[in-house]
Amino acid sequence: MKKFDYFQPETLKDAYSLIEKSNGSYIYIAGGTDLIANIKNRLIQPDALISLRRIKEISGITQNKDLTLGSMTLLRDIEKDSHIGQNYPALAQAVKILATPQIRNVATIGGNLCNSAPSADCAPPLLVLEASVTLEGPGGQRSIAIEDFFMGPGQTCMNMSEILTRIRITPPGENTGMAFLKVGRVSTDIAIVNAAACLTMEKNVCRKCRLSVGAVAPVPLRLRSVEKMIEGQEISPELLNRAGKMVEEEVKPITDVRSTSGYRRIMSGVLIKRAIEEAIRRMEQNK
Amino acid sequence: MKKIIDFTLNGREVSAEVESHKMLLQVLRDTFQLTGTKDGCGQGECGACTVLVDGISINSCLYPAFEVDGKSVTTIEGLVGEGNKLHPIQEAFVENGGIQCGFCTPGMIMSAKALLDENPDPTDEELKKGISGNLCRCTGYVQIVDSIRKAAKSLK
Ligand SMILES: Cc1cc2nc3c(=O)[nH]c(=O)nc-3n(C[C@H](O)[C@H](O)[C@H](O)COP(=O)(O)OP(=O)(O)OC[C@H]3O[C@@H](n4cnc5c(N)ncnc54)[C@H](O)[C@@H]3O)c2cc1C
Ligand code: FES
Ligand code: FES
Repeated sequence: MKKFDYFQPETLKDAYSLIEKSNGSYIYIAGGTDLIANIKNRLIQPDALISLRRIKEISGITQNKDLTLGSMTLLRDIEKDSHIGQNYPALAQAVKILATPQIRNVATIGGNLCNSAPSADCAPPLLVLEASVTLEGPGGQRSIAIEDFFMGPGQTCMNMSEILTRIRITPPGENTGMAFLKVGRVSTDIAIVNAAACLTMEKNVCRKCRLSVGAVAPVPLRLRSVEKMIEGQEISPELLNRAGKMVEEEVKPITDVRSTSGYRRIMSGVLIKRAIEEAIRRMEQNK
Repeated sequence: MKKIIDFTLNGREVSAEVESHKMLLQVLRDTFQLTGTKDGCGQGECGACTVLVDGISINSCLYPAFEVDGKSVTTIEGLVGEGNKLHPIQEAFVENGGIQCGFCTPGMIMSAKALLDENPDPTDEELKKGISGNLCRCTGYVQIVDSIRKAAKSLK
């Protein structure tokens, strides 16, 4: 492995000033579960890593009007948070089956997003919850919708010195149910396909529908046209089949070591149907 | 870049000068000669390198050594009690055929320790999830699960 320096700043300011000096040869590290493996595999060769672990203000879970997750919050802590388990079960489920206990004990939610893998398990739940992310840099801070954050495999809209500091979710309100589903080769593996749904119902009629699939396009997808088709309709088996077919047409999967594009295409439709059913079941249970 | 890191290793205060690109795994094996912790895939996949940092299981192959400064690390060598007496989890692995070649065993036992410390009475499902980050090439897992189940009983 190439040698690198390692800095452990305690404030955001100190982190920016280190990265600004480096001309793009330094990189931030959170839990390191993606980054260190990438360095070992020579996919990147930074001169130094700037650890975000000691910057206290970007870690932790708070619920005021909105739910705020510091980007350095460990997946482990999200998994164990009973408030999130109760009120944001799609996110809780995604984290619960993400990787292994040892990885969840060090990996962060910010790292999962910033790594920008099309298969990132935290992405579909945050997309259907319409989360926003706060990016902070030497030039100030900006807040953007999570949907605008991912640009392609390994690429986000952040510039080199920016840090993802917080993720904000507005509670979805009454009569809402949500679910996250994933198919992988084994339970701890990266997803072949993952999907999330969040539906607000009025009796049998869907008032608001948010859908997302991952690992089937260059970025995790929001399925706007399918959502539109479902809103205002009664959920029936025919409607679900139509939704599944639409999803199959919308995705652009590839074939890789984990699966073929054909299987991914079919499973993305299947998972969305199941996620919608599961979301409605959860909502009814909570009544 | 080098730095002196101070941490607690298996209950003893230690300090070592380490290079900034080293992972905890290398420091344990090369600097402290604690070769019980195994170097398997080096990528977070196999769990052979599992140790506890502040009581929580981690893959030491992905854990930058600078980050253990001020923390407490427990390796398989730290489980042995007075007079070289095996820890009840180790004993259960020996007695129930939880070990064949032994390469996965230190990591497996550290994951079992982390699991039982947090949840002394796991269901079979919880137990299997607890070791889902540890691969074993030999046993087929049945004896490992059995060993941990018996260890849980004897620890009560
Ligand atoms: C065995 C194994 C299994 C895995 N399984 C899964 C899985 O099932 N599902 C899944 O989604 N992922 C999986 N992963 C991938 C990985 O563990 C997760 O993506 C994890 O959440 C990454 O978080 P981290 O804190 O370790 O990020 P790091 O590796 O520290 O960082 C990842 C990238 O994001 C950047 N970054 C991190 N935080 C910030 C920030 N706050 N601001 C700006 N940039 C930042 C870093 O510079 C780096 O480029 C797996 C990994 C391994 C090794
Ligand atoms: S050597 Fe660390 S997980 Fe395989
Ligand atoms: S006993 Fe040989 S790998 Fe598990």
